[in-house]
Amino acid sequence: MAEWGRTTLELVVEELQQPVRLDATFERRVMVRVRRLFAQRRRHRRGWVGVAARVTHHPAWAAAVAASVVAVVTLGVMRTRPQVLPLAAAVVEPVQFVLVAPTAHSVAVVGDFNDWGLNDSALVATHHQGVWSVTAPVPAGVHRYAFVVNGKEWVADPSAPRSAGDDFGMPSSALVVEDSTK
Amino acid sequence: MISRPIRGFITVALSCAALAQVGAQDPRIGNKLDAPSRAALRALVDSARAQGLPTEPLYEKMDEGQAKGADGPRIVAAVRSLTLEMASAHRALGTVATVDEIKAAASAMHAGVPAVELGKIKKQSGLRRSLTLPFTVLADIVSRGVPVEAGVNAIRSLVGAGAKDADLSKFQRNVSVDIEQGAPPAAAAETRAKGATPAAKPEEQY
Repeated sequence: MAEWGRTTLELVVEELQQPVRLDATFERRVMVRVRRLFAQRRRHRRGWVGVAARVTHHPAWAAAVAASVVAVVTLGVMRTRPQVLPLAAAVVEPVQFVLVAPTAHSVAVVGDFNDWGLNDSALVATHHQGVWSVTAPVPAGVHRYAFVVNGKEWVADPSAPRSAGDDFGMPSSALVVEDSTK
Repeated sequence: MISRPIRGFITVALSCAALAQVGAQDPRIGNKLDAPSRAALRALVDSARAQGLPTEPLYEKMDEGQAKGADGPRIVAAVRSLTLEMASAHRALGTVATVDEIKAAASAMHAGVPAVELGKIKKQSGLRRSLTLPFTVLADIVSRGVPVEAGVNAIRSLVGAGAKDADLSKFQRNVSVDIEQGAPPAAAAETRAKGATPAAKPEEQY
C-alpha cells in the first residue's frame, strides 16, 4: 500500500538504507572471538612446524620419515596400478615340434611360451636320423615360435603358418593350441 | 615465506617420492635395454593398459626382440607397432573379441589386411566361432603373396560355410604347397577355398 503517495517498494528500500544499530559490546565480542580462533590455529600450525624442525635437525628422524614416505608412495603406486589383463585360461596341451635338419648339430625351440629362450628356457630337441623333435606342454592360445639351429640360426617351422608380426628380421611361425576341454 | 625447516622437510619428501617412482620400474622390461627405451616401453604398456588392451603380447614382443639381439629403439618400434595394431583390431572386433583373436588379428593387420575387413569377418561369424585360427591363416596366406581381397574372400567363404579349424589348417597347408610349386597365389587360395568347405566335400557313399 502507498503512504503519502510513495510505493511499498520505496518504503522497503528506505528501511533497508537505515544504518544498522548494534549493541555497544558487539564489536568487542567479535574481536575476542576472532583472536581466540587465530590463537588456536597458530598453536596447531606451530605443532607441525615444530615436528618438521625437529625432524630436519636430526638425521635419524629424517631417515625414518624418508623411509615412511617411500613406503607410502610405493604402496600407493602398487595399489593404483591395474592388473594386466589375463590371457586365455591356463589350459596346457602337449605339442610336438618337428624339424628335418640332417646336418644340424643342435636344434632348440623358442617362443613366447618359454620367454623366447631367455633365462636358458629353450626346449632342446633330440634327433632320429636328422629328424629333430621335442614335445612340450604349451598353454592354449595363439603363439609365435621358431627353431634355433646350431645355437645361432633362426628357422621358421616349414610346416606351420608364418607369423606375420614384426619378427626383427628373423622368421617366426604361428601356432594355435586349441583348448581340448572346450 | 616458507621457513628453512619446512623447506628441508618438503625437499626430503619430494626426493623420496621421486625415488619411489624410479623404484617402481616394471621388472618384465629387460634391464639390458637402455634407459630411454625402457621408459618408452613402460609408457607403451601403460598406454595399452589404459585402453583396455592385453599387455602380455607386448612383453612377449620385448622378449622376442631381446632374444633375437635387437637393440632398444628397434624393440620400441616393434612394440609401438603392435600396440597400434592391437588397438585397431580391438576397435574393429569389439569388446566380445578374445585376447587370442586380438593377437591374431594384429598379425593379419601387420600382413596388410585392413581392420575393417577383420571386423566384417567377425560380424559374419557370430559370437560362438573363434576367429583365432582364421585370422592366423589369413595372415599366413597374405604374407605368402595372396592378394588381400582374395585372401579375405577365401576366409569369409570358409567361415561362412561352417569350416572347422581342421579344415582351415588343411586349407593353409594346401595353399602354401601350391604356391611353393609355382601356382599363382590368388588362384591357389580361390581354388583351395572352393574345395575346403564342408558343403563342397563329396558325400560319403554307403
